[in-house]
Amino acid sequence: MSASGSSRVPAPSLAGTGRLADDFYLMAHHERTGRSLLAPRAAGFGLAGGLLGELILADALDIYRGDVVIGPTPPGDALAATIMGQVAGEATRRPVPDWLAFLSRTAPSAVAGRLEQAGYLVAIEARPWRPSRWVPSDPDCAFAPVARVKAALDLTQPADAQTVALAGLAAACGLGARLTAYLPARSRIRMEQAAGRLDADLREVITCTQATVGAALLAHRL
Amino acid sequence: MSRTQQAARRSSVSSALARDRLGVPAVLSFVLAGVAPLTVAAGVIPTAYATTGLTGIPAAFLVIAVILAVFSAGYVTMARHVTHAGALYALITRGLGRPAGVAAALVALLSYSFLQVGLYGALGPAAATDAATHLRWHAPWWAWALGAWALIAVLGLVRVEITGRLLGVLLSAEVIVIVAQTVLGLAHPADGHLSFATLSPAALGSHGFATFGVLAVVAVLGFVGFEQAPVLGEETRHPRRTIPAATYTALGLIAIVYAGASWAMAAHNGTGRVVAAATAQGPGLLFGLSGNAALNQAAQWLFVTSLFAAALAFHNAVLRYSFALGRENVLPTALGRTGGSNIPKAASLVQSATGLAVIGAYALAGASPMQDLFFDLGTTGGLGNIILLAATSVAVIAFFARDPRGENSWHRLTAPAMAVVVLVGIAVLAVQHYAALLGVAPSDPTAWALPASYAVVAVAGLGWALILRTHRPAIYATIGLGPHAITRQPAPAQEAR
Repeated sequence: MSASGSSRVPAPSLAGTGRLADDFYLMAHHERTGRSLLAPRAAGFGLAGGLLGELILADALDIYRGDVVIGPTPPGDALAATIMGQVAGEATRRPVPDWLAFLSRTAPSAVAGRLEQAGYLVAIEARPWRPSRWVPSDPDCAFAPVARVKAALDLTQPADAQTVALAGLAAACGLGARLTAYLPARSRIRMEQAAGRLDADLREVITCTQATVGAALLAHRL
Repeated sequence: MSRTQQAARRSSVSSALARDRLGVPAVLSFVLAGVAPLTVAAGVIPTAYATTGLTGIPAAFLVIAVILAVFSAGYVTMARHVTHAGALYALITRGLGRPAGVAAALVALLSYSFLQVGLYGALGPAAATDAATHLRWHAPWWAWALGAWALIAVLGLVRVEITGRLLGVLLSAEVIVIVAQTVLGLAHPADGHLSFATLSPAALGSHGFATFGVLAVVAVLGFVGFEQAPVLGEETRHPRRTIPAATYTALGLIAIVYAGASWAMAAHNGTGRVVAAATAQGPGLLFGLSGNAALNQAAQWLFVTSLFAAALAFHNAVLRYSFALGRENVLPTALGRTGGSNIPKAASLVQSATGLAVIGAYALAGASPMQDLFFDLGTTGGLGNIILLAATSVAVIAFFARDPRGENSWHRLTAPAMAVVVLVGIAVLAVQHYAALLGVAPSDPTAWALPASYAVVAVAGLGWALILRTHRPAIYATIGLGPHAITRQPAPAQEAR
């Protein structure tokens, strides 16, 4: 945040951090103002799903009979290590919806903090009339995840699992319109087909996220 | 690590989840917002006295409270096993099958829509009176109704609900004002002595069974909304305790407040004169009970906020219902989509458009807003509610007949069976004497058109379900299963582990 610290903050790139939750965060917020495009709880559920998806893609977590369990690979960063510690610390295995609800509370600030350290977000201090918030440091880099997913949906070659998972998660939380805007109607079908070809673990996380967001909306808590 | 450390770590996710969950006060607030105490006390009760000419309204509230408590025994028991925020629709689908479920969903949508739009018929005149008295602005009722409509349409598009503390404060204020008016009114009874005539069950049958049917619908109208507690089921800490507790507390509270207020109105004005007084004063029948000018003024202002809060609450209920049905493709899919910030914009706009059309139609027809819009549509909404409750009781019996699931026979058979008999009886009596309920001549078209609208949508629902079964079986299979249908998971953990 301060001028003396800026030399240590890396510059953002169009390729992104390579992490699913980071891409989802950028996609779920306006690329210039940083305003959330989702209801706060929906964004929380989506980011929680993104974090679980990240760890599943890295083989650090698995889904076994609907429950989240520790996988063979050690965590790749501090946030992953925290989550894996929480999973390991529970005496009984818990199903995916429990972890979505639990992680949704801290995911927005945790992922935003991670993006700030990677140079993608800048924290704006709180004022008396509004709380502190994050604003993208580079709008093009903030919009890049949307562009990447749109390109993947439009091309005829198969897209990689992370991009497809990102598209699925975004659609599950209510960002589908943002992704398929200006694209032909068949893109939505392509998105569903590609999501159907994901690994069972990732599919499970995405459908649970969709169900959780839907249920919260119906229960007047979104 | 030590046992205590393990135990502390073991509960971290549970306790974190528990902190986010709702308790009885939050669920009670949610239920009472839809019930809108002052709307009923100052809106429904005086209009009912004036329209029906019957004086047994206080007794009706007490009797209906007992009937609804018996209904609730089976209802909350089945709601434990079927988690779906669509409540009645989901239970009827699971108990009686998808065609009945779709028919019930459309009846519910129509019923809540009647209730929501009907509120404008009270909001318009109440706001117009207050504005004329205090601000010297004179505008017709429909101008104020449209103003409120526009505000609710906008709030519905930006997903604002009056929730939390503000709602709790408003509701508490309403109840306090009603109780104060009641007590002061009872302290100065007509002719100097307090008459209990209107509380006696004999008053229920003053003109035979017809009286009971009419009074029952009016009383149910006061309770509509109590059945909403299971909508929040998944979001509560201990649903097995919280939902029944909130439901029975709401029933008891509502019964005491409304029976008390309506009794005070009759006792203060005299049993023989209350109908004439209600015809003359309308909502003033409640406001004038205490003789205290400041209390009356507070009551009048809170009346407007109560109506507004209720209209907004029902707007949200209708749009979420349409959204749920749109997602399941029972209604057009466009209703099941959300826009920015997860707002179901299409569903909100459709409900707003309906409201505008009805307000406009009644304004152009020169109809009386309190009588024709508020009371007629409101009581028709109440009738729909009775039909749904009866169908739900049948569904409860059918559901547990297939598998008792460890519930005792009172909850799964006896209570719902009693509820079915009484509720169906009330519905039949009400429809037979609908003209008396609406206070119109038997030849008036509204006396058959309004109840018939439910038959029309029910048949349409049955037909649509059968069409879906034949031509779109994949969609048909997900009807009534709710948002968790796409997963195999149960809803997130609720009881503390």
